[in-house]
Amino acid sequence: MHAYLLNAAIVAYACATGLAFAYLVQRLEVVHRLAALATVTGWAAHTLALVVVAVETGRPPLGSFSNAVSVAVWVVVLLEMIVERQSGLKVLGAFVMPVVLALGLKSSLGRPATLAPALGSAWVWVHIALALIGIAAFVLNFAGALMYLLQERQIRAKRPGRFYYRLPALETLDHLTYRTLALGFPFLTTGIILGAVWARTSWGSVFAPDPLAFFSVVAWVIYAGTLAGRTAGGWHGRRAAYYAIVGFAALVLTLGAGLFLPGMHGA
Amino acid sequence: MALFAAGLSHKNAPVALRERLALDDDKLREMLRDTLVMGAMREAVIVSTCNRVELYGVADAPGAARTTAFVHLCRQRGVDPAAVESLLYLHEEQDAIRHAFRVAASLDSMMIGEPQILGQVKDAFALAQSCETVGPALHTLFTQAFAVAKRVRTETEIARHAVSVSFAAVEMAKKIFAGLTGRAVLLVGAGKMGELAAKHLVEQGAFPIYVVNRTWARAQEMARALSGTAVPFDDLSTALAAVDIVITSTGAPAPLITHAVVARVMQERRARPLFFIDIAVPRDVESGVDTLEDVYCYDIDDLKQVVDANIRERLREAQRAEALVEREVAKFTARLGDVEVIPTIVSLRERLEDIRRGEVKKALARLPDASPETRAAIEALSASIINKILHAPITKLRESSRAGSHRSWLEVVHELFGLGRRS
Repeated sequence: MHAYLLNAAIVAYACATGLAFAYLVQRLEVVHRLAALATVTGWAAHTLALVVVAVETGRPPLGSFSNAVSVAVWVVVLLEMIVERQSGLKVLGAFVMPVVLALGLKSSLGRPATLAPALGSAWVWVHIALALIGIAAFVLNFAGALMYLLQERQIRAKRPGRFYYRLPALETLDHLTYRTLALGFPFLTTGIILGAVWARTSWGSVFAPDPLAFFSVVAWVIYAGTLAGRTAGGWHGRRAAYYAIVGFAALVLTLGAGLFLPGMHGA
Repeated sequence: MALFAAGLSHKNAPVALRERLALDDDKLREMLRDTLVMGAMREAVIVSTCNRVELYGVADAPGAARTTAFVHLCRQRGVDPAAVESLLYLHEEQDAIRHAFRVAASLDSMMIGEPQILGQVKDAFALAQSCETVGPALHTLFTQAFAVAKRVRTETEIARHAVSVSFAAVEMAKKIFAGLTGRAVLLVGAGKMGELAAKHLVEQGAFPIYVVNRTWARAQEMARALSGTAVPFDDLSTALAAVDIVITSTGAPAPLITHAVVARVMQERRARPLFFIDIAVPRDVESGVDTLEDVYCYDIDDLKQVVDANIRERLREAQRAEALVEREVAKFTARLGDVEVIPTIVSLRERLEDIRRGEVKKALARLPDASPETRAAIEALSASIINKILHAPITKLRESSRAGSHRSWLEVVHELFGLGRRS
């Protein structure tokens, strides 16, 4: 049952991605509305799918790693819709939905792992949930950085192309990447700390041989450095955008490790 | 009676001719009245701007009406009618509707999307109304043309991107800063275009404005004009540190603002972008300044390049606008057609219904013993026959009204079914 709903959600997200690109190229209001509709439809199907999983298993839908990624995607779409509505940034979908689609497909391709035996403690659920919200915020952080770099290039090149007309002001985009970083970082930090504490109690060591944990710490270090640079060192603009992209690459490796590599998380 | 639009515009008539034919309001009033009196026209609106002289009207013979009106106009203005006749265009019915929509929506303008034309058409319409030369046909046409123009402006971007250098600079500032409210501006030099760009920035909420000039009196004068503050020339680099946007337009032979100065200033600023709009020739800002982080610099050529790109963008948008106008023309024609076709359909139905009722009555009189079932069957039979007969002509009339060719069909239907002469 939930598989059908999940497939429906992915199809809707794919439509939304296509429509969002179409809107970027051909600025038709109706295309944007259709994209928004496809996004909401996909999100609704996704929500139902997650509820069904939760009811069937009697637990939060975070039992396997691919389930967890699916929840992260769900949070990303929710954030995307909120930010888009609040800031009127109608082109955001074109930058976020491809990531949503890629992660969504990835999560549905991942091994249908059985529930890891260790997943008993409530702390683990909190660990997973916090990390996922953090990841979702960083997807938007990545999208904002990408838009910043595109727009900055256009302005520096002094040859306005299509993106120049569609994208908002540099300051707006820089602000978006800063806000999403400030939002995602505390969640990611707490998520990782809880994971470490729990790893120590159940495996006896914080440094369990786990590729996901390794990459997540790498990502955390990059984001911590960027946040420190932004608040104390006056980093912003292009430099902050590059770090946002590097940080996101580390995050993608983290998720890839969880989905495809053996380890404590891969179960 | 046919709706038409006739005249000449920048597309085919030289400015030397257009300027001689253009009319002021008093002459327009006179001309409107004369047109109705002389010509076989029922309604008239004249749009007279520096780019077009056009007559919109309703007449039995639009061609003749056009000739009469323009010969009269030429005589009034002392122009040889023969020189004008060959330049005149004439659009009728659907083409006239399309032309009116395109003109009002600024798709027929020299600079596509320029905002003045809609106001000029509105004025022309109001003037004709005050002269009582506007009837129902032109009233619906122009009201709809204004609505279409508004849709085109809001739904496409034909009027959005700047086509002048000073506005292009303001738009560029908006792509760097999130809103211009409260952004400090420094104006260096007294060039006209620089002042214009500063004014545009002020209109968008930029504040405060600082003015620097080698001549102190000139700086004070310009500061007053822009409600800004004059700053001594020696404090230029201090002022640079305090503002977000710098407009330069001096006549200085060498760059006033050098890479070294800006590099020093940027260190004090900490991460606040600085945007130079350098309208001076030779340039006031040393080239290469914008290789510094957070420094953006557009000189006059860069801005012209942006204007060119903006015009291309407008032309792309114009294609969408044309499609929108085309849909509106179809809708409008269909609506007009329906308005004219419906009375005919109603009287056609009434005519056949009369015949049916009369014949059924006669038949039933000859069948006194008929049971209620038989009577009902006769009623139903006759009703269904006329419905079947009417189906094809009514469908045809509706279709023709949508295609804009209903007038001749209406004539035929009236003739064939003897519905009485149409007015």
